[in-house]
Amino acid sequence: MRVAIAEDSVLLREGLASLLEEAGFDVVALCENADDLLLKVRSFSPDVAIVDIRMPPTHKDEGLRAALEIKSQHPSVGVLVLSQYVEVGLALKLLAESAEGVGYLLKDRISNVKEFVAAVRRVGDGGSALDPTIVSTLLARQRPDDPISQLTPREREVLELMAGGSSNQGIADSLVITLRAVEKYVSSIFGKLGLPSTGSESRRVLAVLLYLRS
Amino acid sequence: MVAEPGDARAPPRPIVVGGIALAGCAAAAASFGLSLSGDYGRAPYVHATIVGWITLSYVLCGLIAWWRRPESRFGPLMVAAGFAPALSRLAEANAAGLQTIGEGLLLLPPVLFLHVFLAYPTGRLERRLDRSLVAAGYAAVFGLDLVRALLESAGRHGGADFAKNAQRAAIAAIALGALGALVSRRRSSGRPFRRSLEPLVACFALALVGLGVGIVMLALGAPGTDLVRWIAFGLVGTAPVLLLIGHLRAGLARTAVGDFFVDLRSDPEPSELRDALARALRDPSLALVYWLPEFGTYADLNGLKVALPGPGEDRAVTLIDRNGAHVAALLHDPSVADERKLLDAVTAAADIALENGRLHAELRARLEELRGSRARIVEAGHKERQRLERNLHDGAQQRLVALSLELSLIENEVDIDSGAKARLDQARREIAASLDELREIARGIHPAVVTGHGLAVALEQLAARADVPVRLTVEVGDRLPEPVEVAGYYVVSESLTNMNKYAKASAATIEVSQTNGLLLVEVTDDGIGGADTERGTGLRGLADRVEALGGRLRVWSPDGGGTRVQAEIPCA
Repeated sequence: MRVAIAEDSVLLREGLASLLEEAGFDVVALCENADDLLLKVRSFSPDVAIVDIRMPPTHKDEGLRAALEIKSQHPSVGVLVLSQYVEVGLALKLLAESAEGVGYLLKDRISNVKEFVAAVRRVGDGGSALDPTIVSTLLARQRPDDPISQLTPREREVLELMAGGSSNQGIADSLVITLRAVEKYVSSIFGKLGLPSTGSESRRVLAVLLYLRS
Repeated sequence: MVAEPGDARAPPRPIVVGGIALAGCAAAAASFGLSLSGDYGRAPYVHATIVGWITLSYVLCGLIAWWRRPESRFGPLMVAAGFAPALSRLAEANAAGLQTIGEGLLLLPPVLFLHVFLAYPTGRLERRLDRSLVAAGYAAVFGLDLVRALLESAGRHGGADFAKNAQRAAIAAIALGALGALVSRRRSSGRPFRRSLEPLVACFALALVGLGVGIVMLALGAPGTDLVRWIAFGLVGTAPVLLLIGHLRAGLARTAVGDFFVDLRSDPEPSELRDALARALRDPSLALVYWLPEFGTYADLNGLKVALPGPGEDRAVTLIDRNGAHVAALLHDPSVADERKLLDAVTAAADIALENGRLHAELRARLEELRGSRARIVEAGHKERQRLERNLHDGAQQRLVALSLELSLIENEVDIDSGAKARLDQARREIAASLDELREIARGIHPAVVTGHGLAVALEQLAARADVPVRLTVEVGDRLPEPVEVAGYYVVSESLTNMNKYAKASAATIEVSQTNGLLLVEVTDDGIGGADTERGTGLRGLADRVEALGGRLRVWSPDGGGTRVQAEIPCA
């Protein structure tokens, strides 16, 4: 799998590159800023671009804008946005159109190499990765007549993983249960929340996200 | 032109006035007689009467103006213009010797009238254009006549005729040029003339047209020359009448001072004082500015700096003092200075009202200065916090993430036992906890998400993290100025913090919208109320932040009736 990395801190850029190469990725581009990234994505067409949200020159939203542009100009390229803080508002903005091939994680997550590599791979394959902090913030959100409170603890665990972008197989592996059991939980959750069950795993990330936000 | 009270030359002595008046009468009689006895045209009486009238009216009016305003050169100038036609009437005399003198001065009167018109009301030619026109006029009268006389005496009559025609053409052109100068002055002043001046200036303009056309027709020997000349002279002769009427009205204007006293008795607002002064001085263009010694500048009633007109501008300034200290200045039409006594009476009457106005202007200027420095302090604090947050983000936070990653890479490379692995995990957890703490600290120092991504994005997180269900509506089109967005963000975050701590609410709404250049932020909860802006620093600090941007923060928090915090922040 081919990866492009845009991160203005040399330390992190090199660290990320060696981590991903170790894990068998082909790092095709290392970029210091958003313009460089857009150029290299066009030239090398990687499977996934990892983008720091705050980059020169203004350190404001350059990374986010580059991510959105890649999404619209090169739909086949997955985009994984990394940030020192994760914000519900930014998740909504990033996933506004679709969650397909989109990831949004706290930078800290790269130190959990196994999970991080899995997330990069998922996004590169057109799946999603949403930081657990976002999911837990949204789940903790207070709402009147909360249907979330009707979920069993197990169903809640499944919902968290599902909202984070895990596939059914991924959920089964994480919770050490069978694939059939996961499917049963998923349909029960959708029933309790009154959501129509959707086909792809990315689409259900967006559905759950929007549900939790409302 | 700065005319200060007391800056006045002594009027001419009565004996001088009387002598000139007598000489004027004699000159009028002489020019009447000369015109009549000369074999002039078909209607010598009409011509003689007009010339006599012009002489008399200019000399007498000039004397009155001189007497009333000795500091102005306008009076003497008018007197001089009055004597000119009498001299030129010598040309009409049949005596050969006298005629030679008169011939040369035949065209002097039009140039003198033109000088008078352009020099009104100060008696000085204020603009370079005016000076050039008058100088060219005198040059044409005396210079070209000298050329003509020399050619004549050399027996070259053709050349002499040419010089004569050139002189007439030049003066006609200068008269029309002066008309242009009057019109352009009228335009460039860009404000209303005092009403009494309008007919006078119109009369000047028409007279100039008549003089120019009349001279051209005389040169061409066109039929009807006499008629045009009489009309032109008639207009020239009307000007002193209008001037006299103006002076009479100035006398009547004393009653305006009475009205002004009545206005002052009703204790006018400082903003009404200018209007009352404008009415009393009959100058709608009048402006009143106050002297602020602390700032070393003149300012209007709102404390905004005003520059006095410099020399050469078509505006006069009257400085007003009180107990030896400078208080204010009137910027007015130069013609107001004609009525020195009216001006003195009015400014003396306005004494206390002017001091009030000055204090008002000074207060406004200080408030304005204070508002500016408050905004600068808030802005400086904001920039400093932004810098700190940035340093944390690019420094400690990045390093900790890199360190944590490094630990993971070491773990993968080195063969380690389970004890070491547990300690590595523990170290990574410590780093993660540090990062969490740093993130909270950084967010407290400066909400980078607001400056990076805007208010709408940032508020999602605040709404999601509140302790009660929050309905969030943001109707703001594009990004707003950074200080406005940051202030709006703090209004919401501080209100929600207060609500979480004290309000015991069960639900809240956040509404953000933009109308008429204002950002409206409203946070409402259904809690126990009783929030106080003065107790605790939270709401007070918030009000400071909003007010520094020229906005307003209001809090409604009746006991048991919930709390509503509303901020209006200018964002245009």
